[in-house]
Amino acid sequence: MKKQKRITDIIVYIILSLGSILMIGPLLWMISTSLKDKTGVFALPPQWIPDPIQFEAYTKLFQLDTLGYGIKNTIIVSLSVTIVGTITSSMAAFAFAKLRMPFKDWVFLILLASIMIPYPIIMIPQFVMFSKIGWVDTLLPLIVPGLFGNITMIFFLRQYLANVPYSLIEAAKVDGAGYLQIFFKLIFPVIRPAVAAQFILWFMGVWNDYLAPLIYLNSPEKQTLQVVIANLKATYAIQTDYPLIMAGSVVSLLPVLIVFLIFQKQIIESVALSGVKG
Amino acid sequence: MAVQKIIGGVLIMKKLNLLLAILLVSSMFLGACSSKSSGNSDEKEITFMFRGGEDEKTAYTAAIKKFEEQHEGVKVKIINTDADQYSTKLSAAVSGGNVPDVFYLDSGSIANYVDNGIIRDITEDVEKADFDLNSLWQFGVDIYRYDGETAGKGALYGLPKDVGPFALGYNKDMFEKAGIPAPDKDKAYTWDEFLKVSQELTQDTDGDGEVDQWASGFNATWSLQSFAYSNGASFLNEAGDKVTVDTPEFAKSLQFFSDLSNKYNTTPNSSQSETLDTYQRWMNGELAFFPVGPWDMSAYAKLDFEYDLMPWPSGDAGKSVAYVGSLGLVVSEMTQNPDLATELAIYLSADEEAQQTLLDAQVQIPNLVDMAEEWASDTESVPNNKQEFLDIVQDYGVPYPTFATYNSQWLDEFWTNITPVVQGKKTAEEYLKEIQPKMQKLLDEANEQAKMSK
Amino acid sequence: MASHRCLLLKGVKSMSGINPVVGAKDVKPKKPKKQKSSALYKQEHRVAFLFVLAPVIGFLLFSVYPFAYSIYASFTDWNGLNRMNFIGFDNFVKLFQDPYFYQTLYNTVFYMIGIPIGLGLALLLAIALNRGLRGTTFFRTVYYIPVISSLAAISIMWAWAYNGDFGLVNQVLEIFGVQGPNWLENTSTVKPAIILMAVWKGLGYSMLLYLAAIQSVSKSFYEAADLDGANSFQKFLNITWPMVKPVTFFLVITNIIGGFQIFTEINIMTPTGGPEYSAASIVWYVWQKAFKYYQMGYGSAMSLILFIFIFIVTVIQFYLNRKSDYSLD
Repeated sequence: MKKQKRITDIIVYIILSLGSILMIGPLLWMISTSLKDKTGVFALPPQWIPDPIQFEAYTKLFQLDTLGYGIKNTIIVSLSVTIVGTITSSMAAFAFAKLRMPFKDWVFLILLASIMIPYPIIMIPQFVMFSKIGWVDTLLPLIVPGLFGNITMIFFLRQYLANVPYSLIEAAKVDGAGYLQIFFKLIFPVIRPAVAAQFILWFMGVWNDYLAPLIYLNSPEKQTLQVVIANLKATYAIQTDYPLIMAGSVVSLLPVLIVFLIFQKQIIESVALSGVKG
Repeated sequence: MAVQKIIGGVLIMKKLNLLLAILLVSSMFLGACSSKSSGNSDEKEITFMFRGGEDEKTAYTAAIKKFEEQHEGVKVKIINTDADQYSTKLSAAVSGGNVPDVFYLDSGSIANYVDNGIIRDITEDVEKADFDLNSLWQFGVDIYRYDGETAGKGALYGLPKDVGPFALGYNKDMFEKAGIPAPDKDKAYTWDEFLKVSQELTQDTDGDGEVDQWASGFNATWSLQSFAYSNGASFLNEAGDKVTVDTPEFAKSLQFFSDLSNKYNTTPNSSQSETLDTYQRWMNGELAFFPVGPWDMSAYAKLDFEYDLMPWPSGDAGKSVAYVGSLGLVVSEMTQNPDLATELAIYLSADEEAQQTLLDAQVQIPNLVDMAEEWASDTESVPNNKQEFLDIVQDYGVPYPTFATYNSQWLDEFWTNITPVVQGKKTAEEYLKEIQPKMQKLLDEANEQAKMSK
Repeated sequence: MASHRCLLLKGVKSMSGINPVVGAKDVKPKKPKKQKSSALYKQEHRVAFLFVLAPVIGFLLFSVYPFAYSIYASFTDWNGLNRMNFIGFDNFVKLFQDPYFYQTLYNTVFYMIGIPIGLGLALLLAIALNRGLRGTTFFRTVYYIPVISSLAAISIMWAWAYNGDFGLVNQVLEIFGVQGPNWLENTSTVKPAIILMAVWKGLGYSMLLYLAAIQSVSKSFYEAADLDGANSFQKFLNITWPMVKPVTFFLVITNIIGGFQIFTEINIMTPTGGPEYSAASIVWYVWQKAFKYYQMGYGSAMSLILFIFIFIVTVIQFYLNRKSDYSLD
């Protein structure tokens, strides 16, 4: 048995390695481009290893006065949305999955409808709305909607909670626990892997969001990182300093990578259901 | 006991909601405050929105600083946006009532924006500012005129940010090596001559049995107009209400264009080449002819070979035609400071130092005629024939066909479905006959919408 | 097979002391006698209501209002600037006669072929990464990289990879003696090319979620199965697959909803919608109409139709899932 497992392991290992070459391609390409000079970008056949290698793009990047603002603002937006939003989403997911409420499933379906509306079409009305209350050129339109929860996360947690039996909750209720206690002490630890997975994805989504910051933010001090990078594009595509843009993209993906590394451990720590006592 | 605890839970829940509500309200106040703290009430502020890279930003920042120095108590807020989504942001700003005081607008949208009451008639303001319009390219100025019916004449609604002549370039070294005399810079090739030279230049230079050098690799979207118009054809009639692509002259030009690839094999591949593909071949010295815009000069300066400019080949009409694009600077109708805003536009369009900076960075040719002519008189540096750019702007350049129409949908239809022709699978005549009614329908729609706006 | 399953369940039940979810209807506590129930239930209702209050408010403010605005807009000739006149059903009549509407709808549905492919690969990947091999963290991170890489870098890379002459894809094909086409310029290859890129890009996302789900499957189930002599395939079919079914359901629904709205990839890989609009998705077409051609009213009408479509498809899926649900809410 063990030998069979080993052979399978080796085969799996080989396949995974081949696949990872494919996966890591764009990152290598991004790094490679960021080390080229402006014209080397368009060379055919494309060079993987730039000749010459130069860090000019990075020096230029860090001399940008907007970079600091970009990083700061993006951190503010990403963290506030994901942290508060995770709490509101988890609680709502708990309610949808395990609590009794009239018309619960219909409410859920209607909330789900919010992601069925194509974004381009609510983009402008939303903008008009925020404009009327004077939130243009502030970070608020980017933060406030997210604080109320993320239906995708709610959906996923609801599905995940399907594997948690009622008996657990009933037992807790019998012991006299309040719903909030049940939620924080019982449910939240159980759904930790799911929350971690969704947190990573949501954080990344907000971090990489580009369209909303683009239309709402004007002043350089308010810009987020993705917009700062996108603004480096020149009027005529040919003149765009691609190494600079790639350098910016590489720098911008580092925090997301760090969040991923931290949180993926949360996913992995096995939360054996059998370990949960009533 | 159990009941008490549960009630406690609900109470806590309510507190949390209250907290959230307080957070929300206070952030709203913070938000409101930050948007109003734009300086003291004595200071006037004008917003300028544009899109551009570092070079353009540097040039305009300097011009703006000068502008601020000359006007005490005036601050200019610069909004820089991504080039690709500029129109989206502008659209959002217009809908939300946040139109910047001065901003970029492409020449084709002028009529539309005027009809919707978004941009301002600056004819008088320009006169008041005591600015000589003749120092700018007439083409660049006229393209921003509109009399309510026809674009190109009437009141002035904008100033050129730049004019972009789309010239034709050739690989000088390649011609020398092949022993062919360089193209005449004043007299355009006829199509026969162009074809002959193209065939001569398409060869296998290293004797390995495979062709590795071609004459050209044009992208129809940008180059077809030159072929068609110089053959006496056009996309639209004068009045702008009929699509005229189903003429024999047009068919001949489109067929010739397609034949260059499919019949005469003077281009790298018979399938429609993506622009970047032939662009790279040109950069590698594999193509004889390739379009050159002023924005290309900085990249082309690093080429291994010497290049120069020439007139586009001309069809039966006997004269070259080339396309000139333009991006404009317009003033918002709702601006609180029309005089200042217009003056800022003038600065950005015509300030000598700014133009010189842009020219040095090889971003564009200067808007100022004098400066441009001086620059072109230098025939030593590459490209020698800079005059060609000027000739296009002053002489044989035309705006893009969609310049005078409400939207570009009718023309996009043409490009969307042109692949079979360019791949040689359909004749030009067949295609044009098919596509004309579809284009016409879209043009009619556009014209109707234009009428409704007025 | 059946006997194995019974043994499995029995074994599990006795080991963990809890109700296994697989194959058994999760017992909902019977409604207690009426007198006690009202107060208790009302309490629970209230709590549940408060818990979901935040998303509901957010939904009303940030989704309903703008959507209502755009529904109104779909009955006007709004041009995105200042003009907005009521024109009744004109937009809808026009759109049902618009060949490009049907073309882009077809394209969009075609793109969804990538969903089963992507999910299948992601699940296999998650299982593989759950084996506890050395370097798992490394692999997990690497497979997640496409998800977090900038869209700009990805598109440039893939646009080059699909280049007819120099592209990586065709170079690899040449090794096998196959002459690859100019992927993005050929009407029959442009969609598969984009599907491939989308699958590749979404793999890490789905993998992560499957991983989280697989982690929740107690090892004791597998151990019990081993005791019963089940092989890998049986273990997969009877334990893993049913246990991650909720996640599969989630992924299918969100991928279909998202798939209907695919836009950015199209916009960057084929900015003109591909040859003869063979790559254009419906939201891309909406974008063109709304922002490029100043026909925002028409774009809103198309979006409304699209929304109705997606909603119906989703409701159907929920209904079907209900019927084969392993655990009830």
